[in-house]
Amino acid sequence: MGGMTGLLMALAVAGALLAVSLKNVLHAIFGLAVTLLAVAGLFVVLGSPFVGTMQVLIYVGGITVAMVFAVMLSTVVQTHQAESPWRRAGAAFVAVGFAVGVGLVIIGAGLPKGLAPALIEDAWSVRQLGTSLLGDYNVVFEVLSVVLLLAIIGAIVISRREEDVVTPAPAAAVEETHP
Amino acid sequence: MNLESFVLLSLVLFTLGLYAVMARRNLIAILIGIELMLNAASLNFMAFNRFLPVEDPTVGQLFVLFIIGLAAAEVAIALSIILVVYRERKRIDVDDITELKG
Repeated sequence: MGGMTGLLMALAVAGALLAVSLKNVLHAIFGLAVTLLAVAGLFVVLGSPFVGTMQVLIYVGGITVAMVFAVMLSTVVQTHQAESPWRRAGAAFVAVGFAVGVGLVIIGAGLPKGLAPALIEDAWSVRQLGTSLLGDYNVVFEVLSVVLLLAIIGAIVISRREEDVVTPAPAAAVEETHP
Repeated sequence: MNLESFVLLSLVLFTLGLYAVMARRNLIAILIGIELMLNAASLNFMAFNRFLPVEDPTVGQLFVLFIIGLAAAEVAIALSIILVVYRERKRIDVDDITELKG
């Protein structure tokens, strides 16, 4: 198990490095997909195959594919010019400063060094997860469905072409749609 | 594999995402950075949920599920905004989008 976890961690970091460094946005998205798959594997290692599956289904199967579509519909991938070195250096400076600061806090926090406690099959089962989701956390669940619905409607409204709205429809069509 | 290694991995992922958000100019590349940061947060929730003696281990998993759902909503909105920006000016460079600048 230890070697497997190390491999997944290395994959996650490697994919993330590719995702932030590659010029071609399409390649960066594939780097992101590697990271997302590795994190899904880590979720399984951490005792929750269900959340790992959801990560693969929604992130890798949905979000990544949607991003690839957006690239296909928008960017002319080849003409993307590089960021200025100053911008990269400034961003790297802030990011490294953040990492060092938080890293020191994490190392100094005295997190428990031991291995994970034994899995209690009952408490970690998908059945228990479903009971929690529709029991104690039902309100959050419902609010999230409303958020998703609003996101769908919002995405459609935002990305609708202007001419669909402003072009006056022929008289007959108006008659039909607004009787 | 102990808790600290997972938290440090999460820190590395978050830092790379932060770098992408600040350094890249392409809107989709910035979105990739945001996804990396969200995943780092999810990983933290799962690791703490697994390694600490929590009363109810479903809570951390539910947090991750909610994060995944919110990320899906966020990506849907962000991508439609990107498509509109592209349609307006044939580029998706953040430095071009200055209409709201004072």
